[in-house]
Amino acid sequence: MTGPAKPRPDGSPAAPDPFSPVRRFGTTLGGSQPQTEHVRVTGPDLARRAAMDRTRDRLLIAAGGFALLFGLVMLRLADATVIRPAHPKAAAVLRHETPLPALRLPTIPAALDLGLHTGRAMVTDRNGELLAVSLPTVGLYANPREIVDASDAVQKLRTVLPRLEVDETLARLSDTGKQFVYLARQITGHEEQAINGLGLPGVYFQSGERRRYPLGRVAAQVLGGVDVDGHGVGGGVEKIFEKRLRDDPSPLHLSLDVRVQAVVRDELVHAMEDFSAIAACGIVMDVRTGEVLAMVSLPDYDANDFASTTTEQQVNRAIGRDYEPGSTFKLQTVSMALDAGTVNIWNGFDATYPIHIGRYSISDFKPKARFLYVPEIIAFSSNIGAAHMAEAVGADRQRQWLGHMGMLDRLGFELPSAEPRAPSEAKWKLASTLTIGFGQGIAVTPLHVVAGTAAVANGGIYMQPTILTPEEGAPPRSGVRVMQQSTSDTVRKLMRLVVTQGFGQAAEVPGYYVGGKTGTAQKTAGGRGYKADARVSAFMGVFPMNAPRYAVYMMLDEPKANASTHGYATAGWVSAPAAGRVIARAAPMLGLLPDTDNASAIAQALNIPLQPGHPPGAKVAIPPPGPPAKETPMAKNAPRAPAAPLGAPTGAPLPALAIPTPATPAEPILRDLRHEALYVAPANAVR
Amino acid sequence: MSVTERRLIRETSFGLTGKLWQVSWLYVLLLCALASVGYVALYSAGGGAEPYASRHILRFAFGLTLMLSIAMVDIRFIARLSWVAYAGGVILLLMVAHMGHVGKGAQRWIDLGGMQWQPSEFMKLALILALASWFHRASWERMGNPLFLLPPALAVLVPVGLILKQPNLGTAVITAVVGATVFLGAGLRWWKVVVLVGAAAAAVPLAYNHLHDYQRARITTFLNPESDPLGAGYNIIQSKIALGSGGMWGKGFMQGTQNHLNFLPEKQTDFVFTIIAEEFGLAGTLAVLGLLTVLVFGGMLMALRCRHQYGRLVALGISMNFFMYVFVNVAMVMGAIPVGGVPLPLISHGGSAMIMVMIAFGVLMSVYVHRDVEFSDGREDG
Repeated sequence: MTGPAKPRPDGSPAAPDPFSPVRRFGTTLGGSQPQTEHVRVTGPDLARRAAMDRTRDRLLIAAGGFALLFGLVMLRLADATVIRPAHPKAAAVLRHETPLPALRLPTIPAALDLGLHTGRAMVTDRNGELLAVSLPTVGLYANPREIVDASDAVQKLRTVLPRLEVDETLARLSDTGKQFVYLARQITGHEEQAINGLGLPGVYFQSGERRRYPLGRVAAQVLGGVDVDGHGVGGGVEKIFEKRLRDDPSPLHLSLDVRVQAVVRDELVHAMEDFSAIAACGIVMDVRTGEVLAMVSLPDYDANDFASTTTEQQVNRAIGRDYEPGSTFKLQTVSMALDAGTVNIWNGFDATYPIHIGRYSISDFKPKARFLYVPEIIAFSSNIGAAHMAEAVGADRQRQWLGHMGMLDRLGFELPSAEPRAPSEAKWKLASTLTIGFGQGIAVTPLHVVAGTAAVANGGIYMQPTILTPEEGAPPRSGVRVMQQSTSDTVRKLMRLVVTQGFGQAAEVPGYYVGGKTGTAQKTAGGRGYKADARVSAFMGVFPMNAPRYAVYMMLDEPKANASTHGYATAGWVSAPAAGRVIARAAPMLGLLPDTDNASAIAQALNIPLQPGHPPGAKVAIPPPGPPAKETPMAKNAPRAPAAPLGAPTGAPLPALAIPTPATPAEPILRDLRHEALYVAPANAVR
Repeated sequence: MSVTERRLIRETSFGLTGKLWQVSWLYVLLLCALASVGYVALYSAGGGAEPYASRHILRFAFGLTLMLSIAMVDIRFIARLSWVAYAGGVILLLMVAHMGHVGKGAQRWIDLGGMQWQPSEFMKLALILALASWFHRASWERMGNPLFLLPPALAVLVPVGLILKQPNLGTAVITAVVGATVFLGAGLRWWKVVVLVGAAAAAVPLAYNHLHDYQRARITTFLNPESDPLGAGYNIIQSKIALGSGGMWGKGFMQGTQNHLNFLPEKQTDFVFTIIAEEFGLAGTLAVLGLLTVLVFGGMLMALRCRHQYGRLVALGISMNFFMYVFVNVAMVMGAIPVGGVPLPLISHGGSAMIMVMIAFGVLMSVYVHRDVEFSDGREDG
């Protein structure tokens, strides 16, 4: 750079810069050759000067930018420190437990600041049984800088705590770069006293909290767990109600009943062992309120030791996994068909031949290969019959129905649940309608099935499932009416029929009038197709059917047949007996005693024959049992027979069906649908 | 170096005593003040002069000597060494990639003289020097020539790429930003600046996919610290609490509970600012921040005062580097940007970082001392 600022040793005419050394000292070292040519202002000089000027502008802009950012930082700082300071949460305190005996001296202001006085709230079941509780514990730590002789200290400590690793403890105590090292997380009061008696300098105790689950594995997934620092983890109550448990010290009452929970778990464990299943799940729900009394998922884990669990153990299969519901879904199909009036209880469908549609072939597990009446379809779990029934209702109304039953959306349950998998509206074509009719081609969580079945059984009100006991004095939970009372009454009889004469007979418990539906669903193999020999066998039961109170769901994943089941691993053989045992054991705990006094009256009221006309005194003409007769069963007194199934308008609600009872055999509206059932869907019928 | 050049350097230098007088002692005083703040904070963090504070002040003394020594070196000599330093930095980065020490999930340290060094810190300074040397004689026309801009762009990208591979996203970004600042100061066309910023913004989602797990964890934690209050979110939450508990005037020296109850992890290094916040409150942090601001602006003033382009660009780059340290660290502590191991210069405990900062200040001071010298070259090819 040329110019006046350059120090000139010979005192050249160029005026010295006020800050130059020339000015201060009057002399500089260096050569004395004047280089006058440098004073000339040349083109490059100008260009460089221009560049310098630009750089100066840019520097000023950069400085402005710095100033702006610094200003922002300062504002943010003021915000974080004075305007909106963050406060520690109680649970955060548990991480690095304080050297101050804060829990014991809660009056220390610092301790109060940190919120140490608030512990995590208890979790109890509906009867106040402890499920999770925080207990004060004592931890052992040391300040290595105050340790006089580390190896001596280790030896002494080991006399009290033999579980201490010598090398590790020695390394910790010798790490003088730290002032806080853990030696043992939880020690007993005796150990604390003994160590105190050792009189080791630099060794301290700290108070903390420890979350304990007195029941261990019972309700493990419902609760989740806590990590070492007391934060809820897993997909259960501990995590979901983290804030509630921390902020509100009063116990959190779950709707669970640990006695029922333990029974369900016990039976599932045995069933899982007996049939070598890979997993199992069980639910007991109050059908009138939606309160979940038991929710078990196997394999499970000890909630006290969440850290060493696997994902398979953590997942709550009752809500966290989708399964194809299989035949338990036929209850939905029959309710839907009856409620819409599309099908009458004494209608039937031809189940002689398998249905071939697209790449699916629909056949029955134990083919009767004949015309089946609606009760027979349910009792013998005919896929063909259920498919025809769904076809009669049509895709739109089926979709709408399942939507009302909550089968197409995530559960409105407090704990996180899996999203059901169902075809999109565009893909919900005839094939989907048929397969969903018997519970394949759709996947929902077990609790979906339970909630939907509860609505079918309780008179037609869909109750949102809940894991919480309602507050005292709170208004009773309300549900949504999803079907007519009369339909529910009819389907209750069908559910009972499954247990008295159908595939679910193993679930029967005398005096409890169990009803339900078996469901053996094939498992999908990865993306496409079904596995040949992998099933999910479930029994969806409700009891007592005369006045439904509880829904019981027992499911085994991939059960294998054993000798006692004669080679079958279907729901009727593996899940139904387990459900029966649960009912037999749990019902008395729930205050339900077997009602054998009115047995015949109740049985009479719940009775529905497999086929019309069997009751004595029936005067209607009935088709002979066995393969469908050629003649048409009489349908002359069917004044309200709906239109052909696929053409049926979906709009106007049909008049309520009178509940047919065997005592009034003339009442059933008979209508032969066999021809319609045989009908092959034309292309335009799908829409 | 030709005989003429050597003579020119000699002619325009002005002796050791003269140079010492030229040193901005006010600036040195400010640096000492900052180091004293560090001493106080580390005293509190360590619960006494040991183990952090005394070592801190010893290192600072060493760094100060180093700084003043470098300040005496003629800036033109430094300019000549610019590309040598750059090459050295790249070699060090390559070395660390192959034989470096892996710590905290990243391979970025190298053992030298009993201390662990991050070559990336040195690289930043070398890059500033190299870029300034490249742009020293750049005219406005040349700054518009893409071919002229290509080599320095590569010079930025090579170390940034190497640092990214370590991986050290934070330092890579800071290096890129510092390099870009030198470009900007040299007169990069504004539209190119806009395009660059736009491209950087567009690259963010792309880059996210290539991040390491722990880096992603930092970002997700930043967006929602409570999502992982035990792992990556813990630091941020605790430091926020410490900030909040300090209030306006703080709890007083050695009175910080978050600090002394071991709630604050790494409090003596990256999170040292929280100690100041907790014990001296908003007033203390604003004072420290003010001090840091004055230092940054002092650097900018030195740049303005300098009469050669090289010095201006170097001073700008070093100021920017220092600013980035401060800004990233403070923002990180407040949870305003994802955490990334950036210390608070001259306050955080940590030897190599402090020495590197002092070396950079040495170069800055050399720029100031030699603000009026004339670069002999340039006339020939101007």
